[in-house]
Amino acid sequence: MVLVLALGDLHIPHRASDLPAKFKAMLVPGKIQHIICTGNLCIKEVHDYLKSLCPDLHITRGEYDEDARYPETKTLTIGQFKLGLCHGHQVIPWGDLDSLAMLQRQLDVDILVTGHTHQFKAYKHEGGVVINPGSATGAHSSITYEVNPSFVLMDIDGLRVVVYVYELIDGEVKVDKIDFKKTATSAAAAAH
Amino acid sequence: MGKNGVPEWLNSSLWSSKPSADLFAIYAAQTLNPDSPPQPSTPPPPPPQPPPEVSEAAPTQSDPGPPKFSPEETSRQSLIVFELSKKVLNIGELRRLVCQGLPDGAGMRPTLWKLFLHYLPNDRTLWVYELEKRRSQYKSFKEELLQNPSEITRRMYESAPGRQEELNSRVRGFLQRSEILHGEHPLSLGATSVWNQFFQEAEMIEQIDRDVKRTHPDLQFFSGDSYLAKTNQEVLKRILIVFAKLNPGIRYVQGMNEVLAPLFYVFRNDHEENNVAHVEADTFFCFVELLSGFRDNFCKQLDNSVIGIKSTITKLSHLLKRHDEELWRHLEVTTKVDPQFYAFRWIMLLLTQEFSFTDSLQIWDAILSDPEGPQETLLRICCAMLILVRRRLLAGDFTANLKLLQHYPTTNIGHLLYVANKLRGTVHC
Repeated sequence: MVLVLALGDLHIPHRASDLPAKFKAMLVPGKIQHIICTGNLCIKEVHDYLKSLCPDLHITRGEYDEDARYPETKTLTIGQFKLGLCHGHQVIPWGDLDSLAMLQRQLDVDILVTGHTHQFKAYKHEGGVVINPGSATGAHSSITYEVNPSFVLMDIDGLRVVVYVYELIDGEVKVDKIDFKKTATSAAAAAH
Repeated sequence: MGKNGVPEWLNSSLWSSKPSADLFAIYAAQTLNPDSPPQPSTPPPPPPQPPPEVSEAAPTQSDPGPPKFSPEETSRQSLIVFELSKKVLNIGELRRLVCQGLPDGAGMRPTLWKLFLHYLPNDRTLWVYELEKRRSQYKSFKEELLQNPSEITRRMYESAPGRQEELNSRVRGFLQRSEILHGEHPLSLGATSVWNQFFQEAEMIEQIDRDVKRTHPDLQFFSGDSYLAKTNQEVLKRILIVFAKLNPGIRYVQGMNEVLAPLFYVFRNDHEENNVAHVEADTFFCFVELLSGFRDNFCKQLDNSVIGIKSTITKLSHLLKRHDEELWRHLEVTTKVDPQFYAFRWIMLLLTQEFSFTDSLQIWDAILSDPEGPQETLLRICCAMLILVRRRLLAGDFTANLKLLQHYPTTNIGHLLYVANKLRGTVHC
């Protein structure tokens, strides 16, 4: 039972001042084992805040991040799953699922977490699953101003993942879940 | 008992030098339990077939005990063996015999302790049934209480009506979002949320883990990197966690690990392999029973009440005053050694920290078997501990006395129990 927080595109301080209060109330240290962040924090204070929630923090570079040392992509293994991380502004057309699928195959991961569009998405294809946790602050994107704050918490348990989707809609936190399993065939497909 | 407080029997030469083998003869000569009928002069011969639970009655043993037995001890041992072989056991008789001492502890101890802790009924034919019932009960406790929230929520969804059929098993497409049941999600702050409860208990579980790792660091059975120690530690942890979850009023209190340890050790070293296979369940129930007599000591809210630890310590104080007023006065009034400074640990941890491990097992034989009950017996033994070192205490000041009582010197346990026995028959204040 491993809890992995996936979030990104906060754009603090340029487009948002902070995470929504209701999100902050829930995000307490001691519960989460890993944090993967798609990028565009943008400042060090946000980095420190995330680090206080969980010491195992992984970040990839968004185009507005002040720290230029974050990598463009990152991969890590958690339990039975290989996870890939990339902000997504590098993948053109932005948010295009086939292009992201290509990136996923290049990184050879089961779950690719990417951002930039500020829209939550969870999509499955032969190569694996693509998850976009959206923007945790609801900051406007390059495309639209209609953004609900959202983030994702994954519960990785053996070969199953339960993805809890947290969204702030009309001031209330709504939580949904998505289940999927890593089957033998998808594992074999990923191996090729 | 003289008015000036020092009873006559204390003045005997027994206390002036290190106890020697002569003492056994002295014990044998005196009537140990004034109330019971005198023991037969020749013991009845033990039955030809010894019962299967008990190792051979011959005094050859594997643990390094006293070198040889007195005739009195051998006769008592064969009496115990004889009693244990009966179909319907006379627990009262067994208690009477064992509280005078259990010379060959190792073989019979597991069974005797289980009998005294009401885990095994006195009708031997019911043993198999009872054991199986309890052991399966413990198994279901574990299944219910030791799951992590992932597993709990998964079961919740599996048993819920109308659950979604396939877990997003289509090859390509957007993944279906589904509703969560009962607002259960990992970051939930709800009081009834399994996730929230899990994280709140995480601290308690960490505490249990730390305490278990610190239990008896000098014994390989409990401590170290060996496979044995690690599995034993896991068993202790599980028992304590299950206990804490089943008893939310008292949960886990530091020190419970020390009370658990001797029980587990004794049962784990049972010669009967079938019992060893189920040692965790057996230890759990015996631990519950043992603690039920002492629960109030562990409950913080009861500390100042009539039944809490402070009141128990006061009872000890009264006991000492009754039997040895001179010592009592010197300790509590003159040198101002409040019994709370030393007796707290003695009583809470049932003397497991004051003596060597094997010695404390012997003391527990007395505590568990005595017909007067564990709490009364424990207090008598504590009082005896004070009386045994009265010379040094009377000569010492606050610092010396406190140091002595917090690091109680090695003692002949048979000696100690003999003195404790003499304090019998007191009335509570």
